[in-house]
Amino acid sequence: MVSHRVALIAATCTLLATAAVIASAQTTSRVPAAVAARSIAIDERFAEDEHLKVGDRVVISGDPGAAATGSGDTAVIAAITKQGTDPSEIARDEYRVRLHLTDLQRLTGAADRVDRFAIRTAGGAAADSVRASINAAAFGFHAYRSIDVAVGTSRTFQVVSRFHHAIALITIVASGIFLLCILLLRVEERRRDIAALRLIGISRRSVVWSVVLEAALISVVGSALGTGIGWLGSLLINWHYRGVYRTPLAFALVTPNIVVAAVVLAIGLGVGAGFVAAMRLVRTPPLTLFGR
Amino acid sequence: MTASDTRAAPQGDSLSTAPVVAVRDAHRDYRMGQEVVRALRGVSLEIAPGDYVAIVGPSGCGKSTLLNLLGVVDRPTEGQVLIQGRDVGAMRDREATSFRLRNIGFVFQRFYLMAMLSARENVELPMAEAGMSAAARIARARELLDYVGLGARERHRPGQLSGGEQQRVAIARALANRPGLLLADEPTGELDAHTGAEIIGLFRRLNEDGTTVVVVTHDGELAAAARRTIHMRDGQIIPPT
Repeated sequence: MVSHRVALIAATCTLLATAAVIASAQTTSRVPAAVAARSIAIDERFAEDEHLKVGDRVVISGDPGAAATGSGDTAVIAAITKQGTDPSEIARDEYRVRLHLTDLQRLTGAADRVDRFAIRTAGGAAADSVRASINAAAFGFHAYRSIDVAVGTSRTFQVVSRFHHAIALITIVASGIFLLCILLLRVEERRRDIAALRLIGISRRSVVWSVVLEAALISVVGSALGTGIGWLGSLLINWHYRGVYRTPLAFALVTPNIVVAAVVLAIGLGVGAGFVAAMRLVRTPPLTLFGR
Repeated sequence: MTASDTRAAPQGDSLSTAPVVAVRDAHRDYRMGQEVVRALRGVSLEIAPGDYVAIVGPSGCGKSTLLNLLGVVDRPTEGQVLIQGRDVGAMRDREATSFRLRNIGFVFQRFYLMAMLSARENVELPMAEAGMSAAARIARARELLDYVGLGARERHRPGQLSGGEQQRVAIARALANRPGLLLADEPTGELDAHTGAEIIGLFRRLNEDGTTVVVVTHDGELAAAARRTIHMRDGQIIPPT
């Protein structure tokens, strides 16, 4: 381990507390000043709900009744942590408290028990060899790369993401058909106008070009409006769900790639539909378009 | 505007007495299922430059079919149609379209102006198609709108114009490329009597200024304004008595 220049983050910094510990954390304003305070970090939801701030003293204990009996350890809130942007955290409504490893071990009464800890390597290339070393030497432990853990925990979200893609695809196909029908109808409404244009000597190419140009213009304006509405919608959705789940996660995104894809798709569909509709009409003799 | 502004551009034979239109024994049959409808049955006529002809007759007598032949929109089943000396029956679609653009002006009963374009832009349309420069076509469109009395309304869209004004814009559009022949299909059909009379007056003025005009109409007053009236029945021209 030393040869790979690793550091045990948990040993030097903090370890995530278990739910049982969190549930038993109680606030107090009657902590004897003589007691040497330990330092802990709490998450901002906990701080907000219990009106705690940095420097407040609390009693922590594995016993839910500790505050009433005056037992437990006094701790000073040294930091208030923000919730990470991890989708898997959204549905969890318990609070999180971070303690020094020694404090946690004392609190749980299990001095030699650690469920998980993280190791940061000095270089990315070392991660695989460290993992191999741990897995070969440390009985009862299994080391994973952080990316593998992330992939494992985000599988549910990958499935959800695939659903989103499928829904998006269906929406796009349905919208495309709708757009095609609208454009066909709009061009069909102009049968007589187009017949008149042909009679006054406007060429087929000019008629098709004008229809396609108009369709492209409608598509650009439509996609710009759609993007704008989508962007406003994403603001609204993010504002609502960030409030509901108290997370900085973005629930709806309008990225430049999405904008480009929307505009390209809209113009492609619009121009295609306009071209098909225009070709249908210019291939029809003007007198037939006039209904004669 | 002078007379030379509205009539056809000078051509090689424009000063000769050669007819603008010569129809020789034209037949036009339509097949409707097993039945053959004979819309025209051996029609012959000539129209001289500067003439003003009204074609009248009951519905279904073949007058619109004849107008379609004169407008190079349709071809005779038999016979020959010559416009300004050219046999238009043999023209392919692209050639016929180009011929219509430069030689024939159309005025329709329902105007058929482009709703999103202004009056001036509507008049410019055939000139733009003919490849005229922007400056030249704007000047020509203004000239024509002045001629039909709409110089002050060049920026108005069709929806902002009355029926009579729209028809006047349509007439200006028809004259844009200085056609040798102006064809009108029931040009007063959608207008009230007063507005119709204005349009009749405009056609008369156009003709006096040198434009060859052919109108198909049920309107007795419009027909009466023409120099010559052709009566049709059952696909044939009724000889004058």
